[in-house]
Amino acid sequence: MKQLLDAGLELVLESDFIYFPLLFDPDIEKEIQTVFHPEENKGIFNGYESKAVIKLKDKYFVKGFRLDTLVKNYESINPHSYQHMKNECLRRYQLMREVDETFLEGTLRTILFQVMPHFIKKNKGLSRKKLSDEAILDLIGQKINVPEGYYQEAKMFMDIDPLKEILKNIENQAPLLEPPGNGLTSGYKLRDWFRNAVHAKVLSDEVDRIAKSVQVRQQFSRIKPEHIATLLYITDTGSMEIDGFGFIRKNADRKEYHIYKHSGDYILKDYYDRSYLFPDCRVAVSTYTPFRPFVMEKYKHPFLLEHKSGQEICLKNFNPPDELTAKRIIGVLEEGLTALRYGYDPRRRNGYHSLDQLWVHIPTIDFEDYRI
Amino acid sequence: MLETDLKKELQLDEAEKLLPLVLEIIPGHAAEGLIDIYEPGSYAAKSLKKLCDKTLNKKNLSIEEQLIVEDIKRQLDGGKLLSRGQEIEGTALEYAVSEQTEAGEKYLYIPIRAIKPQEGGILD
Repeated sequence: MKQLLDAGLELVLESDFIYFPLLFDPDIEKEIQTVFHPEENKGIFNGYESKAVIKLKDKYFVKGFRLDTLVKNYESINPHSYQHMKNECLRRYQLMREVDETFLEGTLRTILFQVMPHFIKKNKGLSRKKLSDEAILDLIGQKINVPEGYYQEAKMFMDIDPLKEILKNIENQAPLLEPPGNGLTSGYKLRDWFRNAVHAKVLSDEVDRIAKSVQVRQQFSRIKPEHIATLLYITDTGSMEIDGFGFIRKNADRKEYHIYKHSGDYILKDYYDRSYLFPDCRVAVSTYTPFRPFVMEKYKHPFLLEHKSGQEICLKNFNPPDELTAKRIIGVLEEGLTALRYGYDPRRRNGYHSLDQLWVHIPTIDFEDYRI
Repeated sequence: MLETDLKKELQLDEAEKLLPLVLEIIPGHAAEGLIDIYEPGSYAAKSLKKLCDKTLNKKNLSIEEQLIVEDIKRQLDGGKLLSRGQEIEGTALEYAVSEQTEAGEKYLYIPIRAIKPQEGGILD
């Protein structure tokens, strides 16, 4: 149906119904002649509302559908196109990226403002001060390159007046868009109206989200635009790394993250005091269960069962937390890093594998390539 | 830091041994720790362990420093102090490296990590 609007045809609107140009061939002409008696053709706009075919300026138009019904049901009629138009509308008001929800739900806030400061160098020289959230955002801004476009988006994000206006209209039950007037119109004009009408419906459906956005953005109204730009960028990309600490948002759910810290290169010794240089890896914890430290890369270590990626590190007396707080995230990462870097005891050869070959017939991982 | 790097960096000349010493005790794998500065001559004869104890028993700490000390003590409950991957023993000069501030003032620096052991074990 929307394709008909996109075709730029001449259309007629009458009593909320849309009439399309009637295809004309000899059979149709014969039918039309039986429908349109000369006396009924007088005063074409008088009393033809219920008619399937109307004549206007010597052209025939056939009744299509109610325009408001198309708007109301467009989501079911053409889900793909509706989603496209919905995204377009949400993007216009910076509602697209669920930025507000991300700011509200707190996982990202916890990572940025409570976990990250533990693992990154915050102070210059020898001073040791706790940084405010603003100072942390300044620090992030210095360490990552936020593309210019995000500064423009930040200005739009902070302009909450249009959203307030929409809310006001919805609360007053004012129609978000006046229906187009009766008569001849072009498909292009109607298409624009239809687009705006779908946008109005989207906004009406998203009233809760808009109310939440206004609330959140009011909280952020005193934040510097460059900080908003930084947050928008992080929310968009879902990942960041500073000083060996970072996080990656999982694709499946935008609110779930892998939070990691690089181990750096380190040396472990075997029973015979020979050194093995272990390469850097990322020790991570997910924001979903199980809250256990694991190594993101394909990696081998006495505390990892196999030589592959995503392996949990085996730990002694470790009870994974029931829920993740900043303190617990830090704790889990610390346990994992400590285990890899300092946990192996060459005398006891603890873990799944020993660095030196035991010459027993048990399949094990070989570390000879790490020997230095 | 790797052992090979360590040997290179720990070779201080005589003049450097007269520099002030900055000790930083870092809880676990944090990026920053508790800083203490020892004047030249006040640390040379003392063991690094004693200097650490002195630093950890410092009074008049700021709230931030108190939180760091709490964190360090939590790590040291069954844990140990490590510098450059080794348990600390001997004097400060054995672990110090020469650094300088942005203003160009030289000093000796020792980062020490308080690490609570995690031996690894069997995955539950």
